[in-house]
Formats: sequence, structure tokens, C-alpha cells
Amino acid sequence: MAMNYKKWMMATLAGGLFVTSLVACSSNGTPSITPASNPSAEDSKATTEPKSELKTLQIWQKDDYNTYPVAQYLEQKTGYKVQYDMLPQDKPEDKLNILIASGEPYDAITIFGSTDFKALYSDYAQKGALIELGPLIDKFGPNIKAVIDPEALEAAKVDGKLYAIPTKSISNVNTSLYIRQDWLEKVNMKSPTTLDELTAVLKAFKEKDPGGNGDKNIPLTVKGEAAFIDNIAGAFGIPNFWNDVNGKMTPRILDPAYIEYVNYVSDLFKQGLLDKEYAANKDATAKEKFTSGKAGMILLNWSDVPTIADALTKNIPTAKASYISALKGKDGKAGLAAFRGFDRLTFIPKASKHPEDAMKWINAKLEKETFLNMTIGEENKHYTLKDGTYTPIQPIFSDERNAANNFLTGSDDTNYPIYWQARVRKDMRLFEAWEFMNKKEPANTKVEDPLGFAPYLPEFSKSFQQLNTMVGDYTMKLVFGAEQLSGLDAFIAKFKSEGGEASYNEVNDWYATAKK
Amino acid sequence: MHKKTIRDRSLDLFIYLFLLLMGVVTLLPIATVLSKAVSDESAVISGKVGIFPVGFQLQTMKYVISSSQFITSIGISILVMIVGTVLAIALTALTAYPLSKRYLPGISFIMLLFVFTMLFNGGIIPNYLLMKELHLINSLWSLILPALISVFNMLVIKSYYESLPESLEESAKIDGASNFTILFRIVIPLSGPVLATIALFYAVYYWNDYFNPMLYINDAGLKPLQLYLRDIVMDADSSSALNKSADDMMNASPEGVRSATVIASIIPMLLVYPYLQKHFVKGVLIGSVKG
Repeated sequence: MAMNYKKWMMATLAGGLFVTSLVACSSNGTPSITPASNPSAEDSKATTEPKSELKTLQIWQKDDYNTYPVAQYLEQKTGYKVQYDMLPQDKPEDKLNILIASGEPYDAITIFGSTDFKALYSDYAQKGALIELGPLIDKFGPNIKAVIDPEALEAAKVDGKLYAIPTKSISNVNTSLYIRQDWLEKVNMKSPTTLDELTAVLKAFKEKDPGGNGDKNIPLTVKGEAAFIDNIAGAFGIPNFWNDVNGKMTPRILDPAYIEYVNYVSDLFKQGLLDKEYAANKDATAKEKFTSGKAGMILLNWSDVPTIADALTKNIPTAKASYISALKGKDGKAGLAAFRGFDRLTFIPKASKHPEDAMKWINAKLEKETFLNMTIGEENKHYTLKDGTYTPIQPIFSDERNAANNFLTGSDDTNYPIYWQARVRKDMRLFEAWEFMNKKEPANTKVEDPLGFAPYLPEFSKSFQQLNTMVGDYTMKLVFGAEQLSGLDAFIAKFKSEGGEASYNEVNDWYATAKK
Repeated sequence: MHKKTIRDRSLDLFIYLFLLLMGVVTLLPIATVLSKAVSDESAVISGKVGIFPVGFQLQTMKYVISSSQFITSIGISILVMIVGTVLAIALTALTAYPLSKRYLPGISFIMLLFVFTMLFNGGIIPNYLLMKELHLINSLWSLILPALISVFNMLVIKSYYESLPESLEESAKIDGASNFTILFRIVIPLSGPVLATIALFYAVYYWNDYFNPMLYINDAGLKPLQLYLRDIVMDADSSSALNKSADDMMNASPEGVRSATVIASIIPMLLVYPYLQKHFVKGVLIGSVKG
């Protein structure tokens, strides 16, 4: 027996060795599968002394950051070798929480600037997981002070201290109503400019059958997620989730115009002018109906225009489509919601090993020439410049700068909106659609989200999503006739008790001080 | 042999037709994705593509298969699957053998320790911290090591060993065979089918594993296929649209590309499965008959 035990011990030992030796082998073996890291690093002649290697965490993108041309350019220009990791596309918050909680030594972390991520950021800052950037900026961030909009910097503060470099969103109108021009011509009408004209046009679409679909014409199709139809909502003075009513920030449901809006849309629905399947429509189903020639109008984002236009003309070669202008309501109100706020937030966690270098790196990326090249490339190679207009050179622009926006850690807020247009000019249809909504329309129709630069408001952030869904569902039911406006007071009471009241007070406390 | 009556035959026919229909129904979703992958993008957008492709083209497939991220991911997945399965099956089989010997002292206590891990474990954060302290974050070993021994699989092998007649080992011992000879020349060859089955379980586990890489892998060059797929399929999902800037919207992958990625990613498994499944069925059967 003793003999046997010895052997078993040997076996266990051998097993152990077997595993460890494999571990050792493969840790050498694995890199052969990972893509070869950028070769350009070796011939960077400018760098005099070796700078510390930085580790950053980024938002998900399709291509690997490390092999993307922008990464190589930045390494050459700033002298910092950077390892880019990325968050997953699915539930990035969860992964981020784990990484922050376990103190992963990232030197810079860039996240989205939307309400939910803003809440995460404030939470980290308050719990002391982030480095306060003020002193670092004073020392190493002259460019940050010079080019980033002070209003954005102010809005990114938590309890009066700055913990993140904000990248401001370019304030765009994104969504409006897109109409079949050839249908308009067939029914002999002009593009609608008021709500009444819209009703008339939709009626003509239904009755005169310009699409040749018989009684299957859908005058207007909208995806179910959009309980408030952009552009139409603007004509009632409620383009954004919250709007100023007599000096008070008011959510749509509490807005006196809400009832008028619901009446108008449910009237469209009753007359058969709005898609019967409105509530059930997914984004893709609405697009199917429009591109197959069944629908005369669709609520559409300008970024979808090239694909939609291609699919439409393939199915119906004579089809033509364009956006309608901002519709006017009965007292001349009109408005298109424009995004306002942060696109990204970049912070340095306490676990960082090189916070000073990280700040120098962020600062170096905002150097005028570096920033220009990083975002849209090199003149006459990636773009041409004429009369202040940047036009991309394809296909190299798309190949090498398409994902450049993901490399932003703060932006030159005066110039970037101009550079950025090069990205829209990569397809002229895209550009025209964007230009129509954002440049050709009178400036007062563009209504920026008034809460975009609000500081972190805990009550508001907590219930924002949930209340929106609640109001959206209710509005949809009113439109369909499943609920009656007589029950509105009861619903408002419910809305208030489920966080609506607290949000309202919190938002207006801030708004009162912000207006001054 | 007794003759089949008309009633039997018609019943057979009905059963065959019914099973055929069921088979076709399960294939439908795959067929739609496949035809979306090889159809013209504008046909996909206008919702014209059902079971059959419209405007057949292979450009999208080509684009997906030649994308460097896709090739990297599939390579990582294959590597993890092969190394993981080989190590896991070896360790599981070796662990099960001594545990199947009831006469070894303290064996029931050791068994208890194994079973304990089936019921209780540390949870996500402690596991993450463990991996971090072991410096396995961003290493493929973080995907392989945690799953090396699945206690359940180990128990299956153990009970199979126990079902082998004891007299077989005794007679080998009388002939002068050592414990190793018995294990490697008698027990393991006799356990071929059950080992193949368990190997398949491990292979499928490693191939499908999404959660571990999601936690432990941040480097895009080390992402296995499941992670890559999830990212691609989520890309155009409108539920995440709240976070998307105009730039992200402009760069979202069209539905055709997503379908093509899904199709391309199931090809390796489709190629391997028929060969493995033979063993799979045999393994389960032999085990049950002998046991």
C-alpha cells in the first residue's frame, strides 16, 4: 500500500507539472494570434526620452482601437504609447462597475455622456474613485482651458469639483418627417408647413392613392418607440422631454399643450392617416413600409437617409423623397428637438499609475494641428479645404478616420463642429439631409434640450427612463383610444407619486439658479 | 417479421411527415438569417427577404470573413476550445479515477469538498478579484482555467468508472499491472465513449462561453467569437440608441452584415458537429446499456 501512495503522489505532482508547463508554453504561444502591434512605433524619431505607456478604457467600436490608424498617428504625435481596451457593447455599465470596483489601473476612461452614465460618473466621483482634475489641468492642461467650452467644463463638475474632461455633443437636430415628393406631385400639393396642411396632405395620400396601393396606403408611418412624433410635437411647443412653460421646466405630460397634442394625433389615427400598427412598429418595420412604397411619410433620422433612399429607389425607380420643414402650430409655434449635452466624459481613476502623463496626453491631443489631424486627417490626403469647407477624400477618409470620434477625450468646441461636417459630407445625400434640418431651417426652430448641461440630479436621473416609458405608453393608449383624456388627472397623480413630483422640484430648483 | 398493416403504414407516414415538418420549422430562423446574409441590402431593408434570398450576392459574406477582427476572434475561440477541452478532459478523467475507488481513506470527505463547489461559489466580484490577483485579466487562461473541472461532468465519469467490473482490475493487478497501467491501458480505453461525450460537453461550453470573456477580456485582440458576435448584433439595436451620437448612427452595421457575421460564426461548429455527434449518441447509449 505504501508503494501505491507514493505513486499516487507522483501522479498528482506530474499532473500539476503538466498543467503548469502548459501554462508557461501557451503564454508564449498566445501572442501569435493577437494582431501584430503597430510597427510605426519603432521609427518615431521625435521622442527623446521614453514616456510611460498609458492604459485607457474606451467605448466599444467595431475595429480594434490599437490597430486603427488614428492610434498610430496619436502615438507619433504625442509620444505616448497607449494601450486601448474597450467596454463591451452589451451592458457596459456592469463591466465598468467591476473594473472601477477592483481598482484596475487605467490612466483614462472614456464613457458616454448620457444621463445614465453621467449618474455613474457622479457616483464614482462622490465615492472618491476618481482623481480631481482641477490642479492637474492648471499644471498640464493649457489647451484644455483654451479650447473646451467653459460651460461644458462647469456642467461636468460634481459638488463643485471637476473630475472629468467633457466632450461636448455637436448640437444637432436628428429626426424629422420625411415625405415622398413624387406622391406630393401626384396629388398636386406642396410640402406641408402647418399642422392643417399636414392633415390635408395625409388625407390626399389616403384618398387619391398616389402610391397605387389601393386602400393599403399608409399616409404616415412611425415607429412605436416614438410616442411623441418629432416635428408634430414641436408645433405644440413640446419638442423636448422637458420644456419651459412660464419660466418653469415642465415635462410633457404636465404641459398644457399635452392635451392638444394627443387630440391632434388621435384624430389622425381615427381618420386612418396614421399607421394602424403604430404602436407595434419596430424601427425596421416602419422603414420596410416606407421603402417598399406603402407609406407616404416616415419619421426618420437623417443618418438613415442614404440607406433608405437607396432601398426606396431600388424598389420604385421614380420615387423621390425629402424632409418637410418644421410645422407651425396654431399660434405659430414650431420646433425640432436638438441634442445638447455631453457626448463623452473622460476621467482618470484613482487607481491610475500615471495621472500626470494621462493629463499631458489629453492636453496634447487638443493641440490645434493634432486635433485636426486626429479627427479628419491630413489635408489633401484625407480631406480638401476650400472656402472654409472640409470635404473628405474617399475611400481613405472612411477607412482611416471613420471611427475618429471614438478617440476624442475633450474637443475643440469652437472648431470641431466645422471639422465634423466633413464626416457628414462623405455622402452628399447625408449632408443635404443634415443641412436641411440644421442649417436651412430658421434658427429658432432648433430647440436644444434645456436639461443637457444640467448637473447630476439624483432624483431626475433615477426616474428619468422609467417615467419616460410610463408617459410614452400612456400617450400611445390615448392615441389608440384605449384610455380617455378624462383619466388624465389620475395618471398625473400616479406620475407625480412615482418620482415625477420629486424630479420636477429638483429640476426647477436647479433651473431657478441656472437662469440667473 | 410481421407484416405492416395499412394502418401502421399510414401512421408511419404521418409520423415521418410530422417530424419532417418540425425539422423544417426549426430550420426556418436559420434560413432567414442565411438569406439576409446573401441578399441585397436594400431588399433586406424593405423587408422583402423571407426564406429565400432576394438579389443574391456574396459581397457581404466576403466582407465579414475578411474582417481582421472576425478572423482574430474565431482563432481565439478555436484555440480556447481546443486547449480547454484537452486540459479539461484530462484533468476530469484523472480526478474521477481515484474518487471512484471507495476504499481509499478519506475519499468521502474529498468527495464532499467537490460537491460543495457545485452548490456554493464565491460570486462574480470575488472571482474577478481572484483572476486579477493571479494576473489573468486579459489572458486566455482566464477563460480556460475556471472551467477545467466541472464537478457534474466529473461525477458522470466517476460513476462510469464505478460501473466497470472490479474483477477486471483485480485480474490485471494479479498479472502485475501498476495503477498507471490499469488506468491508461484498461480503464481509459474502456471509457472511450463517455470521455468523448464529456469532451463534447466541454468543447461546446468553451465555444459558447460568453460571460467569462465578457468579464475578464478587455483587449480587443483577445476577444473570442461570442463576444464579438454580441457586439455586432447589438450594434444596430435601437434600445441602445439613447447613448448613440450621430456618428455612431452613421457607422452602425447594416442588418445584412450582422446576419452574415452570425452565419460565418456557426460554420466551424457546423463542420465539427456531425463527426462529434456520432460519438455523442453512442456514448450515451453504451453508458446506459452497460450501467
